[in-house]
Amino acid sequence: MTKLFGTNGIRGIVNEDMNCELALGIGKAWGTYLKKSLIRPKVAMGTDARLSNHMLKNAISAGLLSTGCDVIDVGLVPTPALQYTVKEKDFDSGVVITASHNPPQFNGIKGIASDGTEFSKDVEEGIEKIFFEKNYSLAEWKSVGKLSMWDGAVDFYIYGVLSNVDLELIKDQHYHIVLDCGNGAGCVATPILLEKLGCKITKLYCELDGTFPGHNSEPVPENLGDLMQKVTEVGADLGAAQDGDADRAIFIDEKGTYIWGDKTLALAAKYITKEKKGGTTITPVTTSSCFDDVVTENNAEVIHTMVGSPFVARKMIQKNAIFGGEENGGLIFPEMQHCRDSAMTIAKIMEIMAKEKKTLSELIREIPIYEVHKTKISCPNDKKETVMRKLAELTKDDSGVIKIDKTDGVKLYVENGWVLMRPSGTEPIFRVYSESKSKDRSEELALKYKRLAEEIINSQ
Amino acid sequence: MKIDISKHIFRAYDIRGLYKKDISPEIFYKMGLAAGNYVKNVIHGRQIAVGNDIRQSSIPLVHSFIAGVSATGINIIYTGNTAFGQTLFKGWELKQDLIAFVTASHLPPEWNGIKFYYGDGVGLPEKELMKIRDFTLNDDFDVVDWEKVGDVESVDPKTSYKNFFKSKFKFNKKLKVAIDCGGASTTLSVPDVFDAIGLDTVHVFCEPDPSFSKRPSEPKSENLTVLVDAVKKNNCDFGVAFDGDGDRSVIVDNTGKVLSADETGIILGKYGLAEKKGTIIVNVECSKAVKEQLEPLGFKVKQIPVGHTFLTLEAKLEKSPLGIESSGHLILPEYFLFDDALVVPLKIAEILDNNEKTLGELAAEIPTYPTKKEVIDCDDQIKFDVVERLKVELTKEFENINAMDGVRVDLKNGWVLIRSSNTSPIIRLTTEADNEKILDQLTMQFMDKTEEIIEKFKGESK
Repeated sequence: MTKLFGTNGIRGIVNEDMNCELALGIGKAWGTYLKKSLIRPKVAMGTDARLSNHMLKNAISAGLLSTGCDVIDVGLVPTPALQYTVKEKDFDSGVVITASHNPPQFNGIKGIASDGTEFSKDVEEGIEKIFFEKNYSLAEWKSVGKLSMWDGAVDFYIYGVLSNVDLELIKDQHYHIVLDCGNGAGCVATPILLEKLGCKITKLYCELDGTFPGHNSEPVPENLGDLMQKVTEVGADLGAAQDGDADRAIFIDEKGTYIWGDKTLALAAKYITKEKKGGTTITPVTTSSCFDDVVTENNAEVIHTMVGSPFVARKMIQKNAIFGGEENGGLIFPEMQHCRDSAMTIAKIMEIMAKEKKTLSELIREIPIYEVHKTKISCPNDKKETVMRKLAELTKDDSGVIKIDKTDGVKLYVENGWVLMRPSGTEPIFRVYSESKSKDRSEELALKYKRLAEEIINSQ
Repeated sequence: MKIDISKHIFRAYDIRGLYKKDISPEIFYKMGLAAGNYVKNVIHGRQIAVGNDIRQSSIPLVHSFIAGVSATGINIIYTGNTAFGQTLFKGWELKQDLIAFVTASHLPPEWNGIKFYYGDGVGLPEKELMKIRDFTLNDDFDVVDWEKVGDVESVDPKTSYKNFFKSKFKFNKKLKVAIDCGGASTTLSVPDVFDAIGLDTVHVFCEPDPSFSKRPSEPKSENLTVLVDAVKKNNCDFGVAFDGDGDRSVIVDNTGKVLSADETGIILGKYGLAEKKGTIIVNVECSKAVKEQLEPLGFKVKQIPVGHTFLTLEAKLEKSPLGIESSGHLILPEYFLFDDALVVPLKIAEILDNNEKTLGELAAEIPTYPTKKEVIDCDDQIKFDVVERLKVELTKEFENINAMDGVRVDLKNGWVLIRSSNTSPIIRLTTEADNEKILDQLTMQFMDKTEEIIEKFKGESK
């Protein structure tokens, strides 16, 4: 298991655990790793809107340069814009200085592979190993890397999005959209994109500000009160909010109602599988069954992966999937790239509205409703594995269990629902998710299996 | 986290070491923290400008330095890859609290380092530089919270630098100048500026070449044969060569003669300064010709210790029109205090523009005296004491003694300077005299005296 890299890169509080020494060391380890297979690696580097970005960017680039990697600084960009650049412009790797949706005192480092996907665990482990062993291979004075700037990444990305949606159709609608960038990296790209899509834009928190004065950058309902209100106030067709590094998008319908990410994910899946008349879609085991329902209805297939967008993205590549994503608003459109992409998501949702000639609330109403129940149980980290095994064993012959899925934790499909017990990667807990069309059934499932898990933990 | 840093990279005027051996991005990160701390807590400022020369290793070094400064909450203006003068100019123009330049000056390409100036163009004196050293070695600095992290702004100095000189120099004649940048940092400034102000230029090694493969970056006579040939072949009015970063230049007259810093300084003083008054600053190694030529015109000549940081500081205090360091640093404070070597050839061009004579003719009017440099072996443990004892004894014997940097004895037909080396177990003896005979005699006399005292010390220590 990686010690520094979490689900979405390395994160920490600036000048405490996320400091220049770490960034410099990671830069050297990263460069050393790349140099194992490449003579002169070319690394693209970008940042979100945080105040400490320049400091950390200078530290990590110093590390990369000292190993003999060339670094191209693309400046302040949405994470998907950097990923698109890495993939399309043939970079060997990409660095994003971002802490995504975390509060402003945080920052982080995210690694991008040459195909534009987030680093795999193997690569992260490889870099960490070099870092902890300080096994750096540093270049001599005459072969240290060169640093240059490229300010074209945002435009390049915007044109990428425009070329992957039905531009004329969207333009004809003249949608009125309220855009909330949360003062994050989306500010530099999304307003321009929406203008090119012919939208009337009402802007909320679309000025870059690393203190995030508008609201915290996780697009959950409690942070989007202003957006919901604004949509009804100005009579907009929809509202959209992006997280801090603009890889995820959350929508508000024309009535000012917050739409959870699983609904948007299912909506996109529904229309993409309908249009393609089948195909394969990918989503983690935690995703609501509403996704499976709409996809199977169109004779398409669903493959469940472990939790984490890199797993979804890699499985999509492997299975040549037509769509994938997570329930947190991170949607992946392979025609554009294999990563979560909020600008592409916003454009695509408008395209669906335009094609179906329906309002967003009408479209969402067509998505099946499931009641989700989430709870957790404490469990020491060293017991997690045994508990998982026991859980699978004990439930194998359970007459109520239709199917067991051990992709990530133990997921039991039962009559009218499912329950998932999954060890957390960061905390000493098991998360329990359950879902059913009936709220009572959902709660009952969660309780039943929580109790079983507790019994197993206590008996260890 | 403490790391091993050699104390020896910190020298009297700057910081220098071999890349990857003595200096690294880690060490420059620490130095950034130390410099930020110095600005914040010692001089109570907020801003540092930094730039770097074209050495390849300057890039990782400057970026780790910037990270360190930013972590202390001090804002940074980054001027990019530049000549020394461009970064100094931008920092001075923007009234920064401190200006840092990543360079190893004229040293070979595998070296690197950094030097510091205040925003007014005065170099950091040794005492202050040692504060930065101590902060670095002792890990004596604090990093700030996330919301106070210093800003980093990139500013390209090239246009405003060029425009500054365009506003200061206008020529009537079409002067032809051969420029030798040695493939080093002034390739980024000199051709651009000289063309802009209307000088006809002949280029010698004016393409950036970070490994200095065309000629060593020290602009001494034996490295300037290509330039000398170019001056003669193209009938240039003069030629100029720069060192690695551009804080020293060497002038070649139209006959192909390489002028010493003293000769160039004298020409600047005699023909380049509008008013013949004020105090000209020279270091203790400068020729007696400087005083002989310039004092009769109305200037005062003041001797200072060796080192360009003394030069800029003293020039500021004395409001000097000119400063001459025998190693080649020349300053003309009517433009700015820092030792950007670009002003020297431009001033020479201005003098030729206003004068009927050629540079060769002007140079021929300056008397030259024979000089000699001798080295006497002396253990590190006693070398400083030996020079101190010499000061005492020579003061008894001679009238005209200057003991500010080693000991210099001025006689009516020559002078001698005795200094201990800061870095090697030697004592250096420099002599200048009216003729060779006196030169030999003075050299012998003072070498004997020095050796006699060394022997005494050796005897005492036994």
